[in-house]
Amino acid sequence: VDATGAILSGQTAWMLVAVFSVLWVALGYFWGRKTKSLDGHMLADRNVGLALGTATAVATWITSNTTMLAPQFALQMGIWGMLAYCTAATGLFLFAPMARRIRTLMPNGFTSGEFFRLRFGKEAWLLFLAISLFYAFTWLVSMAIAGGVLLQALSGIPYRAGMSVILLVCTLYTLFGGLKAVIGTDLIQSLIILIGIVAVAIATLGQADLGQVHTLLAQKRPALLDAFFPAALMAIFNNLLFGLGEVFHSNVWWSRAFAMRPGVGERAYKLAGVLWLPVPIVAGFIALAAPALDINIPQVNMVAPLVAAKLLGAGGAIMVFIVVFSSLASSIDSLLASTSDLITQDVVGGLIRPGASEELLKRASSWVTIGLSFAAWLVCLGENRDLATVLFRAGPLVGSAIWPVIHGLYRNTTNPTGVTSAMVAGSVAGLWAYYTLGWYTASLIGTVVSMLIVLSTSKLAPRPFDWALLDPQRAD
Amino acid sequence: MEGYEFSASFLRWLVYGALGLTVIGTTTLLVLLAKDWKRGTLW
Repeated sequence: VDATGAILSGQTAWMLVAVFSVLWVALGYFWGRKTKSLDGHMLADRNVGLALGTATAVATWITSNTTMLAPQFALQMGIWGMLAYCTAATGLFLFAPMARRIRTLMPNGFTSGEFFRLRFGKEAWLLFLAISLFYAFTWLVSMAIAGGVLLQALSGIPYRAGMSVILLVCTLYTLFGGLKAVIGTDLIQSLIILIGIVAVAIATLGQADLGQVHTLLAQKRPALLDAFFPAALMAIFNNLLFGLGEVFHSNVWWSRAFAMRPGVGERAYKLAGVLWLPVPIVAGFIALAAPALDINIPQVNMVAPLVAAKLLGAGGAIMVFIVVFSSLASSIDSLLASTSDLITQDVVGGLIRPGASEELLKRASSWVTIGLSFAAWLVCLGENRDLATVLFRAGPLVGSAIWPVIHGLYRNTTNPTGVTSAMVAGSVAGLWAYYTLGWYTASLIGTVVSMLIVLSTSKLAPRPFDWALLDPQRAD
Repeated sequence: MEGYEFSASFLRWLVYGALGLTVIGTTTLLVLLAKDWKRGTLW
């Protein structure tokens, strides 16, 4: 560890970045070389099996936040902080049966936007597109910023260089290989992440006795062991609803539901939930062990790499670097691919050129991927690090889409005007709560307001819906 | 509730439980991968 806190030399870091970049791009090219159709490029021929389906869901949900922020949560909010983080797995569990229903109702579907258009009509669809694209772009920008910041913190690679390289690499393999490249690399990335955090956790347990950790915490930071820690308890609700809103509405998860072969989606998402659930604890508890290991933590967000480097030496530092690089890439590639799908299918194919040919859409998809990545890069160049916090403001927006999705998928009485009103009112109320009551109430209030409107309008003015309309090819 | 703290045994149970679940989950993923690979049903 040098004076700036970097755990790895710039030279070693660049070498690792080069090796993994070449590997991801070569694999993307290899997997995508036979793909000709739009189905093949966007949805991996709708034939993804259980192993790859599970791995892609886990890898995408393990962002650099999970590996870096979970330890920070533990350091700031103790045991409840780790448990609060784990609740994000609920999104995967609850989406599992929905994935099966989505695959059954829309066997030829492409995007979550398409569901809103066919199920609720144009107004709700446009509003949903605005919310979903805003959220996806913000998430993409925040991940790319995190990439630049983390690579710099870990190894001294300049922010702009690190951010640019990670965006470029993900863009290249997504462009060459489409969803197959994203899912294939996700498998390798998920294994790297899981094995990496287990290795660091075992090394930590080998040197710090948990009884001793508990005693030291009770003496120095008793609040971290407090079973009644109000800030952490509130974080649970916010994290839970944020996770649900994100998974239920986002095309990242819907495109995987469309891509998995019939009968796979539900099991894959459940298994992914089980795999993801313990990750925030395994990655987070090492922060609690830092005092027992006598490790000085100058910056709370660097606790995980510092502990790993101290315990495992150069090997640990390399491992952490690869884990962070993998968790960044596995989220950025998924966001790029599924947001490009949403723009290509809904904006290009739905608004700009309705009835466009498959060939035109496939070409458009490549340009959309490049354009999206370039736009994100331009925003990230500004080095406005606060942009990452914009993502938290998107919480109530996506929270307001939870009930329209649930009700619209399972009840054939949902009122489309009610859905539009619910998303508007939920978003406005949630944002108001964010600024006046506190960030931790925003998602909760946005979700509840939207729920009340969806339920009441569908009860008072039900609008019967024929499920066959969700599959236009069959309905024809 | 005030003043009530998580015990050392709870911490132990939580950490070892999470670690165990991660190891079991990762192994399951590898087994599924081998099965799909063998049957040619990866994608």
